[in-house]
Amino acid sequence: MFWFQVERLLNYWPLLLKGLGMTVSLSLISLLIGGVIGLLFGIIRAGRIRWLSFVVGLYIDLFRGTPFLVQVFICFFILPSVGIELSAFSAGVLALSNLSACFIGEIVASGIKAVPRGQSEAALSSGFRHWQQLRLIILPQALRIVRPSLVGQFILLVKDSSVISAIGIMDLTRSGWMIVQNIPNGLLIFGVVGVGYFIICYPMIFLARRMERRNQSSLL
Amino acid sequence: MLGNLNIRVIFEYFPALWQGFLNTLMMSGLGFAGAMILGIIACALTIQPLRWLRAPAVAYVDVIRATPLLAQLYFLYFGLPRLGILLPEILIGIVALALNSGAYVAEIIRSGILAVPRGQFEASMSSGLTYLQRMRFIILPQAIRPTVSPLIGQAIVLVKDSSLLSLISVVELARVGQQIALDRFMPVEGLAATAAGFLIIYYMLKALAALWSRFNRLPGQA
Amino acid sequence: MIRFQGLNKWFGNALHVLKDIDLDVAKGEVVVVCGPSGSGKSTLIRCVNGLEPFQKGSLTVDGVDLGAKGVALRDLRMEVGFVFQQFNLYPHKTALENVTLAPIHVRGLSKTEAVERGEALLAKVGLADRMNNYPSQLSGGQQQRVAIARSLCMQPKIMLFDEPTSALDPEMITEVLDVMVSLAKEGMTMMVVTHEMGFARKVAHRVVFMDQGAIVESGEPASFFGNPTHDRTRDFLSKVLHH
Ligand SMILES: Nc1ncnc2c1ncn2[C@@H]1O[C@H](COP(=O)(O)OP(=O)(O)OP(=O)(O)O)[C@@H](O)[C@H]1O
Ligand SMILES: [Mg+2]
Repeated sequence: MFWFQVERLLNYWPLLLKGLGMTVSLSLISLLIGGVIGLLFGIIRAGRIRWLSFVVGLYIDLFRGTPFLVQVFICFFILPSVGIELSAFSAGVLALSNLSACFIGEIVASGIKAVPRGQSEAALSSGFRHWQQLRLIILPQALRIVRPSLVGQFILLVKDSSVISAIGIMDLTRSGWMIVQNIPNGLLIFGVVGVGYFIICYPMIFLARRMERRNQSSLL
Repeated sequence: MLGNLNIRVIFEYFPALWQGFLNTLMMSGLGFAGAMILGIIACALTIQPLRWLRAPAVAYVDVIRATPLLAQLYFLYFGLPRLGILLPEILIGIVALALNSGAYVAEIIRSGILAVPRGQFEASMSSGLTYLQRMRFIILPQAIRPTVSPLIGQAIVLVKDSSLLSLISVVELARVGQQIALDRFMPVEGLAATAAGFLIIYYMLKALAALWSRFNRLPGQA
Repeated sequence: MIRFQGLNKWFGNALHVLKDIDLDVAKGEVVVVCGPSGSGKSTLIRCVNGLEPFQKGSLTVDGVDLGAKGVALRDLRMEVGFVFQQFNLYPHKTALENVTLAPIHVRGLSKTEAVERGEALLAKVGLADRMNNYPSQLSGGQQQRVAIARSLCMQPKIMLFDEPTSALDPEMITEVLDVMVSLAKEGMTMMVVTHEMGFARKVAHRVVFMDQGAIVESGEPASFFGNPTHDRTRDFLSKVLHH
């Protein structure tokens, strides 16, 4: 019985691979878009324009405080009702990019704040303009400090992307869900699905740990 | 969009929403309690020297951290019946939440213990206290303090994650929101009410974390 | 070059850190500021390049009135070098990049020009063979010399030093002081917060003693060290000189 199911599962191999590809591309695209916007958010959050920082902070908080599933539904069900028609894929990318922008924003802001004060004083004393100081001196150091957290964020992104399967995107989780309707062995199917995620995420968990250790030793 | 918000619908569904809110709280509470127990056990196993006890605990933590909760949830939901274990969905959900968060709790506690300076272990050993006394009076108080904020953070994650139980048709806050959306074709009202419910819990937990760090700072800490 | 007139500064409402400061530093003059910890030396010198604002009195630096509204601080800072106790080198840049960064991006020098100037300055502070090292690969004394070269590379009219040697191991202090001595001899206008009284004796034109936010005594090194008039100065000197 079990081997029979494994054999049948082999027929679904392409579906699973496609799902894996979808999961990876969803995560990568969202990391890219979210990274750019998150960088901007972080700069604003750590910046001196109080009201803007507050507004962005509130925005970030709204998304950090609600379940991603609800956000996905909002993108998929509510945006069309105000005239923004999105395919499931775009809705998913939008929701995931936005979420990663919010998390990356907070990470970047914490990195900027972790750069010692003396650095910006030295930069000021040399007459750098505000944005030069940020670009040449503060951001490179801030990004180095938060590198492990950014890798950690990407891991979260890969895992959160599974939630998008709820609106019918054919990602790894969704393909597992489809297959389990035909082969009623959840342990086998979602075991295999789990292996798929593990292959992507585990090396990054490893990488993040190593970076963290290196960061710590370089701070000493 | 918000101008057209139909408040009546929200009032009409208020009892259902309230019930969903309570269910979310209840499941999150049970899930977190389970996660703490699992996390403490897993952590204890990962820092003790016996290899055959350590390996499964490390594997548990790593596998959970490297896979999404939704896949874990489906694994249990579609898998347990295979093993002849028939549980109500809500229980499966709580178990999944506890298993998932347990791994993160283990990591948080472990980093708390690792953060205790080596000198403290050495000092406590040379003071002639027994192992349990050393743990109880010297190591644990220092190890626990820095874990409280991350643990509250994990509780926040868990509460939000509990919304995924709606996908195995457990009735909780997100599910009620979806019902309003689908029964009445009012996605804005349904999802706004859901989001508001989760935000309430989020801000309460956040305030708790802030309170804790305000009143539990050691003298002289920034 | 630098003129304090009745300058007062508070941190918050309660902490009166600078009290009625009157001080003139002429072009080419080297002024050493000393005093016990917490007396306001850093605050004083940080006012000169606008790192700290003040509330009362006036401060003019190179003809720029720092009390005026909308003062072009950036233009002023290009002319005023500042050397910090903690070096504050940019850790992600090599020694040479640290030195050339501001000349390129602030002064608008071409890269070749800046590198030429930077290499010459690093050679001058004795680091010709360390140009491509990162700060973490340099000793404290070497880092501080890079920091001095970094300030000099902007060709400032004034150099400010805030305890440049007090974060250094004793054997590295001389290498930094030597650089500062040669700078003083070249006629640079300098304001130096330091407890290195040997340095003060050798090159200072004037020594200023501060206590509790006020200038208590100031004079030429010979008279300042020879017969200080105030008890507090004598007290302080006996502590720094006998250690
Ligand atoms: N940013 C700040 N906010 C509030 N108080 C400050 C600040 N910076 C300095 N102070 C206080 O102002 C006083 C003068 O400080 P300052 O750093 O100028 O002293 P200092 O003479 O340089 O001492 P040291 O020799 O220790 O460097 C001190 O009491 C200090 O605590
Ligand atoms: Mg000082």
